[in-house]
Amino acid sequence: MTSSLPATALPDRARQDTRWRTPLFDFQRTLSWRGRVALGVLAWGLFLAAWQMLARAGIAPEQLFPAPTDVFSALYRLLTEQQFLSDIRASLTRILISFAIAASLAVPLGVLMGAFPVVAAFGNALVSPFRYLPAPSFIPLLLMWLGTGEAQKIALLCLGVVWFLITLVMDNTRAVRVDLIETAKTLGATRRATLWTVVVPAALPAIVDTLRQMLAVSWTYLVIAEIVAATDGIGAMMMRARRFVRVDDIMAGILVIGLLGLLLDLLFRALHWWVFPYLRQRRQ
Amino acid sequence: MNAYAASRLHSAPVARRELRVEGLSKVFTARRGSVVTAVDDVSFRVLPGEVCALLGPSGCGKSTVLRMVAGLEQPSDGSIVLSGREVTGPGRDRGLVFQSYTCFPWLTVRENVAYGLKVTGSTLALREGTVDYFLERVKLTPFADRYPDELSGGMRQRVAIARTLANGPDLLLMDEPFGALDSETRWQMQRLLLDVVRREGMSVLIVTHDVDEALYLADKIVCLSRHPGRVRDILMPPAEKPDEPEALYSAPAFVRLRSGILRMLREEGATAPLGETP
Ligand SMILES: Nc1ncnc2c1ncn2[C@@H]1O[C@H](COP(=O)(O)OP(=O)(O)OP(=O)(O)O)[C@@H](O)[C@H]1O
Ligand SMILES: [Mg+2]
Repeated sequence: MTSSLPATALPDRARQDTRWRTPLFDFQRTLSWRGRVALGVLAWGLFLAAWQMLARAGIAPEQLFPAPTDVFSALYRLLTEQQFLSDIRASLTRILISFAIAASLAVPLGVLMGAFPVVAAFGNALVSPFRYLPAPSFIPLLLMWLGTGEAQKIALLCLGVVWFLITLVMDNTRAVRVDLIETAKTLGATRRATLWTVVVPAALPAIVDTLRQMLAVSWTYLVIAEIVAATDGIGAMMMRARRFVRVDDIMAGILVIGLLGLLLDLLFRALHWWVFPYLRQRRQ
Repeated sequence: MNAYAASRLHSAPVARRELRVEGLSKVFTARRGSVVTAVDDVSFRVLPGEVCALLGPSGCGKSTVLRMVAGLEQPSDGSIVLSGREVTGPGRDRGLVFQSYTCFPWLTVRENVAYGLKVTGSTLALREGTVDYFLERVKLTPFADRYPDELSGGMRQRVAIARTLANGPDLLLMDEPFGALDSETRWQMQRLLLDVVRREGMSVLIVTHDVDEALYLADKIVCLSRHPGRVRDILMPPAEKPDEPEALYSAPAFVRLRSGILRMLREEGATAPLGETP
């Protein structure tokens, strides 16, 4: 029950793990943390090197196909300009506000639909067809109803993710083990208590993962919204750069979007780690 | 000794109330409209303070009977009456321990055991130290602040048992609770269960397909026949339980009962060979 292994047992075991030579391309091979980072860096290094060589080979005009070093120096220049920083702020604000609105609608609805088949039968009839309507097809409507301001962009971003969010949260809630719900019932929990003390906490880790993944999808609609009609935002900056054939600026914009997406993803992962301490010792 | 343990000392094992199952039947309707009779006209009683085992071959409807008594499944026919009241749904007077591990993974061991009392607003019981008392009974005090995923299967099952017992049910329902444990751990758990149950004075209805478990734990064994589940026999094993598992194999009374039951199970198996769909 307690780990009362003799002190010498652990080093012995560790040595045993390296006694066999596992093939490099073994199925399910476990990798050390360092090995994984090294391979990731290697992948990026090869990618950038190939790009650099292609760009410098002079196959395409330098203005249309800049080398990575050009893109990095463009990025550095943009970051020192006040204009680009406020573009980033505008884009981030749009993402966060629209996603907060979408999540605060979708999570309660999805949980109720996942928990109660009656609600699911009612809600699914509406939600399922909307999922198949591409959000950008609403742009003309939104432009007429809401004009070209913030409301139109936020609405588009919400429309882009809310239907999928509802469906995914519903699936996360449905996946809660039935025997946990039944256990709560036999311990005397009312339906309301079961919802709050079992269904919600059991589904929450999966719901947070769903939110993390759908936030990435939000960026797709952000760029569309900012390309259609906007004076600020990363997408608008890229459209401006297009007029002056600043391909290096456009690529820097893409790079920033990627980095911001990655950062938000990491923040969500940190939140997950912090809010669900009981999942930490589990292997993924 | 905490307040809850002290209160137990003074109230001698309360004679809790009787379970009557009369003419219980369950018919499942499968998706394509075909019907399966899982339980057919089952009647038995569990007297106050009695340990009753439901024994029978796999698929004979033991779990279904238990789930109906727990109020998780509606009977198609017949009645279930506990302490004079008809069972019409789940309730805290009947605690169920599942075969699968049903600890809430987001709660610590202590929070798991306290769950029933918290959710039913039993603040007095919480203040009396009921949770600590039952943690001690199942020997999990050193692990009170761990999460279930850090524990072994047997320990998790002990959490589930403590959680159910802390709620103070009149009737403890268990569905093959020790099925996944090795024989020594299982033996320890069975002893622990008998000890706790005697002391708390509650009745137990336990599902098992392990003949020795039934012989050791039960005051009464209800043997079900294979498909559809009917009561085939009701047996009374000796009330004096041995201190060691080996004694179960040598005491003449047990030996005779065991071979009787094994023969019966074999006959049941022969009427519907493996793989034949009912
Ligand atoms: N929800 C259900 N829908 C349809 N049929 C069911 C359902 N639950 C159980 N059955 C059927 O009822 C019969 C009895 O099932 P039950 O789970 O009660 O058996 P059991 O005696 O507990 O078996 P085991 O010892 O293997 O656990 C089986 O034939 C099973 O297929
Ligand atoms: Mg069963």
